[in-house]
Amino acid sequence: MKKQAGKKILAFTLSSVIMLTALTACSGQTPENSPSSTDRQGSQAASQNNAPKETVTLNFWHHYSAQSPENETLTKVLIPKFEEENPGYKINATSYEWAKLHDKILVSANAHTLPDVARLDIAWVPEFQKLNILVPVDQEMSDYSQYSGSLLENAMSTAKIGGNYYALALNTNTKILFYNKNALKEAGVPVPKTMEDFAAAAKKLSGKNSGGQQVWGCTEPALAGWNVLPYIWSMGGEITNSDYTKASGYLNGSKTVKAVRMLADLYKNKALTGFNSGDIPMTDGFGTGRYAMLLEGPWKISELKGAYPAFSYGTADVPAGEGGSHSVLGGEDIGMFSSANKEGAWKFMKFMTGEFAQEEMAKCGLIPVNKAALESATVKEASFAPFLDAIQSAKARPPVAKWTEIDNQLTTAVTAIVKDGADAQKTLDSLAPQVDELLK
Amino acid sequence: MPMKRIRYSELLMYFALSLGGLVSVLPMIYMLSTSLKPNGALYEYPPHFFPSKSNITVENYIYIFQQQKFYINFINSLLVSVLTVALAAAISASLAFCIARFRFPGRRMLFGLVIATMIIPGTALIVPQFELATFLHITNKLWGLIPFYVAWVIPFSTFMIKGFIEGIPRDFDEAVYMDGGSVFTVFRAIAVPLSGPAIASVSIFNFLTAWEEYPWALTVINDNAKRTLPIAIAGFFGEHQFTQWGYVFAMSVASLIPVLIIFICFQRYFVKGLQTGGIKG
Amino acid sequence: MGKDGVMEAKSLKNRLQIFLLLLPGIFMFAVFTIYPIGKLLFMSFFQSGYGSSPADAFVGFQSYKMVLSDRTFWVSFENTLLYTLVTVPAQMATGLLAAVLINGLPRFQVGFRVIYYLPVITSWVIVSLVFKYIFNTEGMLNYFLSQVIRATEGNIAWLDSRWGGLTVAMLLGIWKGVGWNMVVFLAALQNVPKALYESASIDGCGAVHKFFYITLPSIKSTTLFALVMLTIGGFNVFTSIKMITDGKPMHQTETVLTWMYYKAFNEGQFSYAAALSFIVAVVLVFLAVLQFRTMKNRDEGD
Repeated sequence: MKKQAGKKILAFTLSSVIMLTALTACSGQTPENSPSSTDRQGSQAASQNNAPKETVTLNFWHHYSAQSPENETLTKVLIPKFEEENPGYKINATSYEWAKLHDKILVSANAHTLPDVARLDIAWVPEFQKLNILVPVDQEMSDYSQYSGSLLENAMSTAKIGGNYYALALNTNTKILFYNKNALKEAGVPVPKTMEDFAAAAKKLSGKNSGGQQVWGCTEPALAGWNVLPYIWSMGGEITNSDYTKASGYLNGSKTVKAVRMLADLYKNKALTGFNSGDIPMTDGFGTGRYAMLLEGPWKISELKGAYPAFSYGTADVPAGEGGSHSVLGGEDIGMFSSANKEGAWKFMKFMTGEFAQEEMAKCGLIPVNKAALESATVKEASFAPFLDAIQSAKARPPVAKWTEIDNQLTTAVTAIVKDGADAQKTLDSLAPQVDELLK
Repeated sequence: MPMKRIRYSELLMYFALSLGGLVSVLPMIYMLSTSLKPNGALYEYPPHFFPSKSNITVENYIYIFQQQKFYINFINSLLVSVLTVALAAAISASLAFCIARFRFPGRRMLFGLVIATMIIPGTALIVPQFELATFLHITNKLWGLIPFYVAWVIPFSTFMIKGFIEGIPRDFDEAVYMDGGSVFTVFRAIAVPLSGPAIASVSIFNFLTAWEEYPWALTVINDNAKRTLPIAIAGFFGEHQFTQWGYVFAMSVASLIPVLIIFICFQRYFVKGLQTGGIKG
Repeated sequence: MGKDGVMEAKSLKNRLQIFLLLLPGIFMFAVFTIYPIGKLLFMSFFQSGYGSSPADAFVGFQSYKMVLSDRTFWVSFENTLLYTLVTVPAQMATGLLAAVLINGLPRFQVGFRVIYYLPVITSWVIVSLVFKYIFNTEGMLNYFLSQVIRATEGNIAWLDSRWGGLTVAMLLGIWKGVGWNMVVFLAALQNVPKALYESASIDGCGAVHKFFYITLPSIKSTTLFALVMLTIGGFNVFTSIKMITDGKPMHQTETVLTWMYYKAFNEGQFSYAAALSFIVAVVLVFLAVLQFRTMKNRDEGD
């Protein structure tokens, strides 16, 4: 009797330890939990008879936002199609918020838990290349040169570092001006063509509307490079020299200072907001009439259609200044990490940049980089004609390894100027040498 | 006269407590009412506390419940929480029992360790624990969360249960030993059943800890299919400058229900477990 | 066999059983708590690199110097200290008041207990989002303040400044913490012998007098317990800040742990984060010892 009771307890307490070990053992056999072992098997098999014997799971990280049509297309159209065309491969797609994806990749590089393939903001490619985690696809993939010709050269240049290509271009984008048609009409303000008009219009559109609701002329959701560079460039400013080695004299140049001062002036006059924690998000603010103008990318069209279908808005080029009209070039590359199942990853990268996938994604507002897809009827009819024009004059953020760090410092400085009224010249004067260091 | 005075003061007490209670529940009611508004009405001006009658909608709930994702996240959270509670209860009850009842070498050190680790907040160890999880290859695994949660809650649980067991008269143990019982017999027949209220009350705390844990799960879990509810709820937020508060709050309300059920079922143990526990008088 | 219970407890079999009962707990401690603490100390003295440079290099106290000379660290430290100094006494006082009142009620005790406990059982992620929504510059609260009761001119930008953001986080901390304190104090109050109050009543003492001369001294150890636990909780504030302001503007609303997390998982500076964590742990141990000592000395003084 007593001994039995004792044994029961013994079994009970030991079971906790055993359970842990058992769990470890179990999950070790699940293919998706241990990519390394199956990857090895997969690539061996693939090299032998070109089709893996058992299912290989390819982990794909991206920042197509979770509730968006892009994500729907990815999970319901593209992945099933890829898996059908490539038996033996399974895609495990994971969605992150844009900034979180960057951080997750950094941390996973340290933890050696990187996925096989990822969709990368073009601004991150130099940074990850420097960490030695991206595979130079032109070196390692034998059919690279046959394939790369089908993609736009200027888009592919975003993946080129020191003569090698570390990814494939996936899509491009840029921002243009969106404006609330009714608000501009009611205020009798024409669509701004120049930066001076833009600033004047923003001020005129601000204030309380007839319902007693506060309205702002324009909005920016943050004060990072992506947000402020179109104003700086269009007004003739620069943040570095043309070969990205020096910021002093550019970042604190008079035209850059003038552009930042314009933003500070707009904020002071309650004509600009959106980057504060307490502000209403951009899409909602625009759709409910709180923000009258903003610079945004092609995805905004499908977002507005989904959330505010009755809202009437127009689009135009980024207002021109002394420097012309220059938006910021955005876009994504698709790359594989050094720990990837290269065979499978490459297949998936080619699929995502292929005509079918590019055309499907174009329907959700992503601008293709595949030449054949660009010629297709879908793209010709798509609503991004104005974006295609703007891309011609758009400029890229400095393709340097420390861009993320530079961007953080730039954000801090611009926030200090715009929000806290710090002196623009002094603040940028002290920032420039720090950026010089980071460019070395 | 004295009767009347008592009634006034009682009335005042009810009034003060009701006022405090209102402050306690108002944000929750606002959450509930917002979850019943259509997404387009979330930034209406002027804002309304309650949706207008014609505006009431369950579309947010339909959206949430139609998504397979929600059930996966829900089951993930439930699984992790239940296992954490079970393991933590077993481990801390045995630790507490031994510390309370026996003198063994290193006993003082072990109890000192329990106290010391109670003091260091779990999040402060997140960096080395992340390295450890990486080393053990348990990042991005749902069950990989459990040992860390268990390790976080053991000190407090042990501390509380130990206090409770110390309140059980030793005569009970002696009687069992007299009958020829062993340490296991005492543990099973005396310590565990009699410290039931303490185990129950720390188990509620532990369930909550695992159910709502955010930073660790955020750091180690990658796959959508392995995310717990807090990560999923936070994930609705901030993407593309576009927050669907309706979905956020509908999912929040849904995730609150199991905790509420557990709490209401076990709330009577709560005060009792704390009463005679580690914090006497 | 079995004549003497104490002897029984010392037999070999029982020693083995004690060892077996201790084993899982000690294993968990050793692997998931003690090892990470050691690793934390190790990491704070070595520079670890990402991807390309996996080898650790000994850097001595460099990480500690970096932390202590970092202005944002001191901002986050001040914020955490302020958060703790404000929320801990506020929660304890409100919780104790609620407990005393509830304890004196002839009925509806359970109802109030559940209502006050509701915020405690709601997860930090959820309540933070609710507070963020309420305190939005164009949120319900500002509308109520400026348009309904007209207490303020225009909207207050709660979340856009250091003190505004911290105020919201502190209000949330107090709001969420009252219930826990209420339950803890209620448990203690129900342990105070009724006879003490009865004899005080006979002596003609009023309610206030009874509270200060009977209740407070009787719940001293609970007060210490709550104080220590809440101080730890105050330094542990993370999710609310992460959700509500995420350190904005310009890292002015960071707390020690959100700043540590940012350095580790956004910038990849693990050594810096380890040094920071270690400093926080030392400060907390110091505070806890100080609190124990102070309370103990007072006990001896009585």
